[in-house]
Amino acid sequence: MTRTPRIPNLGGARAFILHRPHPTVQAITRQLSAIGLITLDCWPELPPEALAADFVFFDADLGFDEQFPWKPGEAPMPLVALIGSEAPGRIEWALSHKADAQLLKPVGNAGVYSALLIARQSFEARKHLASEIAALRQRVAERQTIVRAVTALSKGTDDDRAYAQLRSLAMSWQISVEDAARRIVAMTEEEGGDDQSHRA
Amino acid sequence: MPRMPRPSGGGCGALLFLGICLKRRIEIGILYSRSGSYQLVSDACRMGAMRAIADINADRSSGIELVPVERDPQSNADRYATLCEDIFKSSSARHVVGCVTSWSRKETIPVLEKAGGMLWYACPYEGFEANEHVVYMHACPNQHLVPLLAHVVPRFGANGFLLGSNYIWGWEMNRVARDLIADAGGKVLGERYLRIGETDVSRLIGEIRATRPNFILNNLIGTSSYAFLAAYRDLGDEDPTFSPETCPVISCNLTEGELPAIGESGRGHLSVGPYFAPRPAAFGSSFEASAYASVQVMADVLSRDPDAGPAEFSRAFAERRFSTRLGPIAIDAHSQHATLPVIIGRIADGFFEVVSREDEVAPDPYLSRYDPARTFGRPRLRVVS
Repeated sequence: MTRTPRIPNLGGARAFILHRPHPTVQAITRQLSAIGLITLDCWPELPPEALAADFVFFDADLGFDEQFPWKPGEAPMPLVALIGSEAPGRIEWALSHKADAQLLKPVGNAGVYSALLIARQSFEARKHLASEIAALRQRVAERQTIVRAVTALSKGTDDDRAYAQLRSLAMSWQISVEDAARRIVAMTEEEGGDDQSHRA
Repeated sequence: MPRMPRPSGGGCGALLFLGICLKRRIEIGILYSRSGSYQLVSDACRMGAMRAIADINADRSSGIELVPVERDPQSNADRYATLCEDIFKSSSARHVVGCVTSWSRKETIPVLEKAGGMLWYACPYEGFEANEHVVYMHACPNQHLVPLLAHVVPRFGANGFLLGSNYIWGWEMNRVARDLIADAGGKVLGERYLRIGETDVSRLIGEIRATRPNFILNNLIGTSSYAFLAAYRDLGDEDPTFSPETCPVISCNLTEGELPAIGESGRGHLSVGPYFAPRPAAFGSSFEASAYASVQVMADVLSRDPDAGPAEFSRAFAERRFSTRLGPIAIDAHSQHATLPVIIGRIADGFFEVVSREDEVAPDPYLSRYDPARTFGRPRLRVVS
């Protein structure tokens, strides 16, 4: 059983603020320190340690791609965009980096805590979705293996029964249908079975 | 940050020249309700603030005279912001000691931000806030709820029933409690809210009787809380399972000030706070002590620099510790929350007997340093089906 933790464990988390020296940095630092995070500010580039950061706040007004040691949209941690100018080009650029949350400048007395929670949840959801898509892609890519396994099992007779047999083998081996198909194809090949002619 | 504009307020320059008036007059706001369902708490806070003002004014060594500018919101949450604004408009005050409920504090914050003012908040609250216009002088969750549950769970069990008045204090306290109880391996057997001032508690009592929890977390305030405790005592008389020895009612905001209203029904139940009145006592309750300490710390900074603004206060918090009637306390400059003692008390005959005490617990208003294993020990293994 899973339950959603309600007390976010943020103590000792490291947040980088990629922004030129400015009162905005102080306002964010004050809030982050009050919450219990370790804050590091930098400009114009993220230092190597930023790769291990838990959060990165970045300036959407003056930011550019080369500041980040990763490709746009591939940050390994939640990002929070600091938006001052609402120029469409700047918003587009911030979006290209897939910011998980935003804070409008000037930053006042509040907003950082909700930005942290929203960014973290949205980042986790995005990561989860990406891994689910990757898994589905892999399964789709195994279609041909399934066809080959079914053919090997049916020996040219009943495909429906062969597919049911494949599923039942997958269940008894406690693996996915795709993995079971791969195992059957490998076994057939080892045995020098008669499905060689079906190889693509 | 700009220094606070501070007219002298008293106009005693000429008198000062004559050596008659040596104190700088500084107006401060007092924003406590003088009537309503949580009046006992409000009165306790007000008494603490007024006593501190009187003591500072009587102290010849202090270079300031505090002049209270008082407004009474009559326990109406909508009146706090307008009356706070009125204090700022009609006087030179930039510091306000006041607010009891979190609802009223949150209503007041926009006014404080606009006027550059500062609220000294002397009541326990639910945490997850750190506004630079508020100094939080009473306990936050790592100084009340977490140590209270850490004390209760091993002694009584981990299954709780959660009660609250229907506003932010109850909602947020119970939200954190749900998580803590789950971490302790327990279950929340019920969670019920009453509107502020509601005294019909029969349904709550029926549900508690049916679910048989190990403890009841009471976040009801004022008259609702008194009505509940009275009905719970009757339940205990009928069924000894519901006695304080086996299923205590535990609170994070119950103090001596309310014991006369609770009477015998309170005996044996538990509360947590930074101060419980010894006998004889300097203060009637932690509310009074915290409000007193609030004015003390404020006056301490202002007596050194009567024009001190938020930046000067922030620097003073970072650099100094303050001697107060709560004992020596530090105020975290980042969160503006006080480091406080954590005392768990059991209601005896009109007072609290101290059950446990831990001094100088640093504030952690966002529970960022909360560690379930340290709080409740190693998690118990559970059968997964």
